[in-house]
Amino acid sequence: MSAAIELTGITKRFPGVIANDDVNLTVEKGEIHAICGENGAGKSTLMKILYGLQGADEGTMAVNGEVVTFNSPNDAIDRGIGMVHQHFMLADQLTVLENIILGAEPTSGGGAIKFKEAEAQLAKVAAEYGLTIDPNDLVETLEVGERQRVEIIKVLYRGADILILDEPTAVLVPQEVEALFDNMRDLKAAGATILFIDHKLDEVLEISDSITVLRHGKTVATMRNDGVTAHDLAELMVGSELPTPETGESTVTDTVALSIQNLTVVDEDARPVLEGIDLSIRKGEILGIAGVEGNGQGELVDAIIGTAAVSAGTIGLLGNDITKLSVRKRREAGIGYVPEDRHREGLLLDAPLWENAALGHQTQAPYGSRWFIDRKGTRRQTAEIKEQFDVRTPNIDVSAHALSGGNQQKLIIGRELTSNPSLLIAAHPTRGIDVGAQAAVWEQIRDARANGLATLLISADLDELIGLSDTILVMLRGRLVAQVSPDDVTPRDLGAYMTGAATQDDGQAA
Amino acid sequence: MSAILKLPAWLRWPLYVLVGIFVLTVVQSISDTERLTQVATAREMLRFSVPIFLAGLGGLFSERSGVVNIGLEGMLILGMWFGAWGSIEYGAWAGLAIGMAGGALGGLLHAIATVSFGVDHIISGVAINILAPALTRFLADEVWESPTTSPRTESVGDWDVPFLAGGTIFGNETPDILLSIGQTEIWFVHDVAQLLRGLLRGTHFVSYFAILLVPITTWIVWRTRFGLRLRIAGEDPVAGAAQGINITRYKYVAVILSGVLAGLGGAFISTELSGLFQGGNSAGRGFIGLAALIFGNWRPGGVLIGALLFGYVFGLDLRDLDGTASHAMLLVNTIALVGVGAWALSRNRTTDAILAGILGTLSFIWWVSSDTVPSWWSNILPFVLVLLVLVFFAQRLRMPAALGMPFRKGDS
Repeated sequence: MSAAIELTGITKRFPGVIANDDVNLTVEKGEIHAICGENGAGKSTLMKILYGLQGADEGTMAVNGEVVTFNSPNDAIDRGIGMVHQHFMLADQLTVLENIILGAEPTSGGGAIKFKEAEAQLAKVAAEYGLTIDPNDLVETLEVGERQRVEIIKVLYRGADILILDEPTAVLVPQEVEALFDNMRDLKAAGATILFIDHKLDEVLEISDSITVLRHGKTVATMRNDGVTAHDLAELMVGSELPTPETGESTVTDTVALSIQNLTVVDEDARPVLEGIDLSIRKGEILGIAGVEGNGQGELVDAIIGTAAVSAGTIGLLGNDITKLSVRKRREAGIGYVPEDRHREGLLLDAPLWENAALGHQTQAPYGSRWFIDRKGTRRQTAEIKEQFDVRTPNIDVSAHALSGGNQQKLIIGRELTSNPSLLIAAHPTRGIDVGAQAAVWEQIRDARANGLATLLISADLDELIGLSDTILVMLRGRLVAQVSPDDVTPRDLGAYMTGAATQDDGQAA
Repeated sequence: MSAILKLPAWLRWPLYVLVGIFVLTVVQSISDTERLTQVATAREMLRFSVPIFLAGLGGLFSERSGVVNIGLEGMLILGMWFGAWGSIEYGAWAGLAIGMAGGALGGLLHAIATVSFGVDHIISGVAINILAPALTRFLADEVWESPTTSPRTESVGDWDVPFLAGGTIFGNETPDILLSIGQTEIWFVHDVAQLLRGLLRGTHFVSYFAILLVPITTWIVWRTRFGLRLRIAGEDPVAGAAQGINITRYKYVAVILSGVLAGLGGAFISTELSGLFQGGNSAGRGFIGLAALIFGNWRPGGVLIGALLFGYVFGLDLRDLDGTASHAMLLVNTIALVGVGAWALSRNRTTDAILAGILGTLSFIWWVSSDTVPSWWSNILPFVLVLLVLVFFAQRLRMPAALGMPFRKGDS
C-alpha cells in the first residue's frame, strides 16, 4: 500500500531565504503524523505547498501513490487533502451549516440552497467521524474548541481524508486540547490521515504515531513515537542543549510593589467574577497565578491595568492607591503589561515596529511627551529594543504582522521592560512561541527580577509557572483558593487545586 | 414584552406598525390636525418612500458584499436622467429599464474603483455623488437643451387593488371596502383603514414591485447560493476565498445590482412621480436610503420600515402647509422617546434612559409651548431619527463584519 503523502526533495526559496531545503516526508495512511520545529523552521511553508497555496521550486509530491502538482487549494481538495488553518476561516455571523457548505453548496436548479439536504449530509459526516455540532448555531456563539471542530468538519464535508492541522492547539485551553485529541483519535479510527504541526512536545508525544522534526528548513529526523522523549525532540529542534525556566536564587526583597486588598469585580449581571482577592507582590518577586482559564485571571489583570471596573477593594502600587486611576496614569505610574492576546491587545499588526514600540508608553520619554510623539527618540529606542531583546527583523519599519510570533513577543517584552516598570503583568508570556523565543523571554523576565522587578505571572504552562515563580497562588471561580511554594509542588498537585479536586485545608493535594 | 419578542418577525413588525398607528391616533385626537392618518398622507409617504427603499435595498446588496455604498445618491440621480431619457425615447417600460442601466453604470464605476483598485469606499462614493449631478446636467443640456429639465415623460401607470380599494377586475367595478371603513367614524379602525387605502389606491406598479422585493431579496440573500457567497464576501472574504469562492466577482455583481436598484429608484422619481427629469428632484433620497439601510439593520424588512418611516415624515410635511401636523409629530416624538427610555430602563441602561428622558422632555416642552413648527424641522427629522436610532440601538445593529475593508486576492 502506498503512503498517503510522499514528499521528495521539496525545496522552496523566497528572496533571501530558503524556507524548505530538500525536505522529505512520508506520511502513512491512517496515521497521525506530527511535524515539529521552531518558528521559522519551514513547517508552515511546507504545509502551504502541500495544500496548493504555494508551489515548490523543486521536488515532487505524491498523494496515495500518484504524483501530483497543485496550483490551488481546490486541486488539493480534489485529492482529498483538507487544511485547518491556525487562524480560523469562519464567518461569525453565519451559521455553522452555512460556514461548512460554503463553496460546495447543494443547490436546486434555481440556485436555492437545499438546506435540508446539506444538514443531512453534515449529520452523516459528523456521525461517521464521531463529531457533534449544532448546524444552526451562529459561529459567533461558539467556544474556540467548537470553532475548531467546525473547521475540521468543514474539510471532512468536502470529502477530505487527509487533514492538515496547522498548530491546532495554539488557541486551545487544556481541556479543549484533550477534546481535540479525542476527536483526532476518532478521526484516525474512521480512517483519516492526520498531519499536524505543533511545537508543544508533550502534546506531540501524546497524540502522534510518527514525528518529523524540521530545523532551518531541513528534515532533521523522522521517527516512530516509540521511546522518544520530549528532551530528545527539543534537542533535535533547536540543535543544542535546552533551556529551562529555572530562576535560581531568590531575589525577593521586603518592599511591597503591588498590594491588592479585598478586590471584587462583578460582571454585567452583577455576579462576582473576582471576589475578595488579597495579594501582594514584593520587589524582585515573581508571583504566579495558576488556574484553569476563565476562572478570573483575565479579570484580575483587567482590574490591575484598569480596564475593568472595580466594585470593591483597593489596588496599591508602591504604597500609592491606584484603584481610581485611568489606564494611562497607571501605566505612567510604572505598570508594564504583556497581554494575553498579543494580536488583539499587544500590537497594531499593520503598524510599523517603531510605532508599536511606543504603544502604552507614548506619553513618556523617550517615545514622546504629553501631546507629541518623538519620532526620533522612538526609533532610537526601537532599535535599542531590537538589539537588546534580539527581535529578528530586517528593520524597524516593517509592519508587526511580518514578524513571527516569538519575535512579536520579544518586541512586546522589550517595550515593557525598557520602560523600567515597578510591576510587570505577564499574561501567558510564552504562549504559542517556539522554544528559542521562550527561553529568551524567560531570560529577560529573570534578569528583570534580579533587578528588583515585581512580576505577576499568569500562565497555563504549569512547568513555566513552577519554574519561574517565587510564590504560586491558585485561582478557582474568582477566588484565591491555595498558596503553594514552587519548590515542593508538582504540576499534578497544582492541577488538583485548579480543578477544585483538592483544597488547601486538606493539607494534601490529591 | 418578551412574549412579543418571541413572535416571528412577519408578525412582530405589523404589530409594531399597529402600535405606531395607535400612537398617531391618540395624538391626533388631542391635536387640531387630521392629517396624521389621512389617505393622502399614506399615499405621499409611499411615493416618497419607494425611492428611499430602492436605494436602501441597493445599499443592502452592496454592503452585504462588504462594499460601503455612499454613492447611492449619485446612482439614483443617474437613474433619474437615464430613466427620463429612456421613457421619452422608447416608452415608459423601457425608461425604467434604461434608468436601471444608468444606475448600473454608476455601480460598475464604484465596483471598479473599490474592488479592483482598492480605492477607499467613501471617497469613490463621494466622487460618484459629485459626478452624477454634473454629468446629468451636461447630458440634459446636450439632449434637451436645458440643463435642469426634460420634456414630459411617460409613466407605466398605477393600479387600485380590487375589493380593498375599489379597483376593477376585467373592467368590472369592485367594492371599496377600505373606503367604507374609512368613512365610518370608528376610532382607530378608520385611521388604519385610511392609511392602508393610501397604500393600495392609485399606487404605482413600481411601488408594488418594490414591496415585493422584500421577500424576494430575503430569499436571494439568505436562501440561495448566490446570497451565501455574497454574504461571505461581506463577512469574511478571506474565509470565502479559502473555500475557492471568487470574492471579486460577487462584489462586482452586488455593487452593480446596487446601482440597478438605486437607478430604478431614480427612474421612478423622474418618470412616475415628477413626470419629467428635474435636477435636484432626488432630494437626497439616496442618502436617506443609506440611513434606512442602517436603521433596518441591513435587512430588507427593516429597510422598508425605515424608508416608510422617513417617507412618512417627509410626506406629512409636503401637505402640512400650516405646520400643525408637524407640530403634532412633536408629541409623537415625545411618546416614542418615553417608550425608548422605558425600554432602556428595563435593560438597566440608565444613561440611555436618562438621555431619552431629557430629549423626550425637550420635545414635550416644545410641543406645549408652540402651535406650529418651522418647516426645517420636518426636513431634518428623518436624520434626527437616524441619529436617535444609532444612539439608542447601535448595540443591536450588526453591520457586515468586513464592511469597508479592502480585499486583495491572495491575502490570508
